[in-house]
Amino acid sequence: MPRLRSLCRGLALGAGAVLALAGPALAQKSVTIVREVDSNNYDPHKSTARAASEALFMLADTLVSLDYDMATIRPGLATSWAVSDDKKTYTFKLRDDVTFCDGKKMTADDVVYSFKRWLDPATRSPVRWRAGPVDDIVAVDPTTVEYRLKAPFSEMLYQLTQSFAVVVDKSDVEKLGPDFGVKGLNGTGPFCWVDWKPRNEMRMKKNAAYRWGPPIYDNKGPAQVDEIVWKIAPEDNTRLAAIMTGQSQITQYVPYSGMAPIRANRTVKLVESKEAFWTYFIGFKIDKEGVNDPEVRKAMVMAVDQAAIAKNLFFGEVNPAYSYISQDALDWNRKVDAELIRTNVAEANRILDAAGWARGADGFRTKDGRKLSPLLYSFTGSTWQKLSEAVQGDLRKIGVDMRVQLFDATAAWGKMATQEFDAFGMSYPYISAGDALNLYFRSANIPTPNRMNFKEAKVDRLLDAGMTATTDADRAAAYGEVLEDVHRQALWIPLYHEPMKIAVSAKLAPIKAHNNYGCGLYKGLDIRYVQ
Amino acid sequence: MSAALAPEAPPRARPRKAPRDVLAIAMAVLFGLIVLAAVFAPLLAPLDPYETTPQPFLSPFWGETANAAYPLGTDGQGRDMLSRLLYGTRLTLLIGLASIAIGGVVGIAVGLLAAFYSRLDGVLMRLADIVLSFPSILLGLAFAAVMGPGAPAIVTALAIATIPEIARVTRGSACTVMSQDYVVAGRSLGLRDWDLLTRYVALNCLSAVFVFLTIRFGQVILVAAALSFLGLGARPPAAELGTMASQGRDALFFAPWIATLPCIVIVAIVLAANVLGDALRDRLDPRLRNA
Repeated sequence: MPRLRSLCRGLALGAGAVLALAGPALAQKSVTIVREVDSNNYDPHKSTARAASEALFMLADTLVSLDYDMATIRPGLATSWAVSDDKKTYTFKLRDDVTFCDGKKMTADDVVYSFKRWLDPATRSPVRWRAGPVDDIVAVDPTTVEYRLKAPFSEMLYQLTQSFAVVVDKSDVEKLGPDFGVKGLNGTGPFCWVDWKPRNEMRMKKNAAYRWGPPIYDNKGPAQVDEIVWKIAPEDNTRLAAIMTGQSQITQYVPYSGMAPIRANRTVKLVESKEAFWTYFIGFKIDKEGVNDPEVRKAMVMAVDQAAIAKNLFFGEVNPAYSYISQDALDWNRKVDAELIRTNVAEANRILDAAGWARGADGFRTKDGRKLSPLLYSFTGSTWQKLSEAVQGDLRKIGVDMRVQLFDATAAWGKMATQEFDAFGMSYPYISAGDALNLYFRSANIPTPNRMNFKEAKVDRLLDAGMTATTDADRAAAYGEVLEDVHRQALWIPLYHEPMKIAVSAKLAPIKAHNNYGCGLYKGLDIRYVQ
Repeated sequence: MSAALAPEAPPRARPRKAPRDVLAIAMAVLFGLIVLAAVFAPLLAPLDPYETTPQPFLSPFWGETANAAYPLGTDGQGRDMLSRLLYGTRLTLLIGLASIAIGGVVGIAVGLLAAFYSRLDGVLMRLADIVLSFPSILLGLAFAAVMGPGAPAIVTALAIATIPEIARVTRGSACTVMSQDYVVAGRSLGLRDWDLLTRYVALNCLSAVFVFLTIRFGQVILVAAALSFLGLGARPPAAELGTMASQGRDALFFAPWIATLPCIVIVAIVLAANVLGDALRDRLDPRLRNA
């Protein structure tokens, strides 16, 4: 058996390595990062893909940066900021030593242009809401920007740490037109755009003038490697092979089955972050027959064994989730901890019996001649295939016949914008409770991303209150109440929180994993060779 | 044919085809067993193939973590591998059979019409050329995109991919038959087209088509498994050999049986179908039979 095992491993590694990443030997100061998917573009205002953010954090900068704790705001391009008493005006003081990759000096006008482009209806940015209820943004002088809001926006500074809020160069945007973020992007980041071959690789080179990195890094100067090459390897085993054979130095997309081999391998280290700000869940469309009954939803949530899923499907590398956001996230309501629905198959069966859903001859439940067989839509690929089968298996134990239909990512988003399904499988990153709740539970966000069709005036009001809160305590109280409400209604089956795990070659110095939008390397300023 | 008609041919030594026959019989037995196992899967399967248990990755009986309740181990969801293999074989064979049956019937009809009515020949064969220019996998991908992944999409794609090939073989065979004296005789007797087609032409070219269908069956199983492997096949939790192999891929490093066992069954089915096809051709093809 061990021989067979090593043969399989050898074959898989060999095949993967030869197929995917055969290329010229890497220069010592070049780092190759493999990842699973590419973005459709790298225009900060036009993509919500994590793949885009990963590159944008390195190519450009934000006014403020986010600390590793995901809660503390640190300086970025702005050295300081002041918030007016009514919390409607943010005044940012900018550094005056910042230059773009082409050598041009960055001024307040560039900042204003970037934000206005983000807000411009013509840009049709899917993340426009993240900029808040803007009244106007003005450049007071070359190093001062005033960000004026119509109403307080408690998430403001957190949203400004996201890759959507990076500063771009007006002349570059105008010169490239529709090719902006496709053929180039002139940013102020620690790395500069070299070229991008979609679905293949993106190259970026060190910005030698860079001195304005976030204070969370010990390195106060430019990046410590000359070049970063982002390569795409959709196949799990190919990425594993690449990192284990040294063809790639970093990947945060390690298949869970590969964690054990990586831990046993001395040439690769696994960097892990305890915090997990990426959550996998199944949401119910709560106006569809069957799942419109809160008791049915509660029983279904109760039937799912998250601990077994985390242990058996993901080798114990993920954290079983009973809450809709990480309990470490900003503004999580500790009161909800005790109310979270835990796995209890016997109780789930009792709830369904009491609710009048009787088991038929086939073991599945019916009520008034209707069978309890909700239809789940989700994505193809091993993760959702495994997850949906596991949930399906758990639900069989309480007599629920969940039907599963998985779609390729190109079709899935469209399918999940329809009203055809009863439940949907999804995963998402967030910075805070407010970030997550405003996205999914606002009635204005029906049909997507509020695919639950969840509409509650009280929740909308609380979300507004949280968003416009002027103190941290008010904001936490408002969001805390929403958290209580949505968890009590069993709108989702939370599955697991995914902690950041990055495989890094032992030839590189240790790096610290960040969780900002799931981009573990953030600015990449701590990437350097030690061997 | 020429050997049979040549009276002066020297008497041959006893033909040495025994080993081939043995292989064919062995494969026939294997194939029969696989089909029986698939047909009686609900009776033979020791456990519910969909029942998940908290015991994933148990090894088969020869491994370190074997458990007598699961003779071939369990998969990543703790489901019994033996039961899933039986049900998987059933679904895989069913997909193959349905594709071949639909593709075969339509293909034979198209081939016969093309051979019989020369006016239709050009149109039908060009249509066949068009379909032939799409690889089966691509057709499968297209149908899965339109119909949604699942067995019906695969069967449709494979049936359509089978039609032109069968039509070609049938047409070739039928054209030869059409030039035979008995067909000319039938025509001069004033037989209707339908009788001529069904009683004279069709029956005389069926053997060649049947051989081709048997060999095609192996190919269809392979393509169906490949499509399922790509995630376009059976929907979860249905057991299908290609899907099972695909799911086992993640665990290849430490639980290789999850991917390899379904692959072994696929190889066995395809090998048996191909050897049987060859043997059938040997039996049915008069040229080879009399050699």
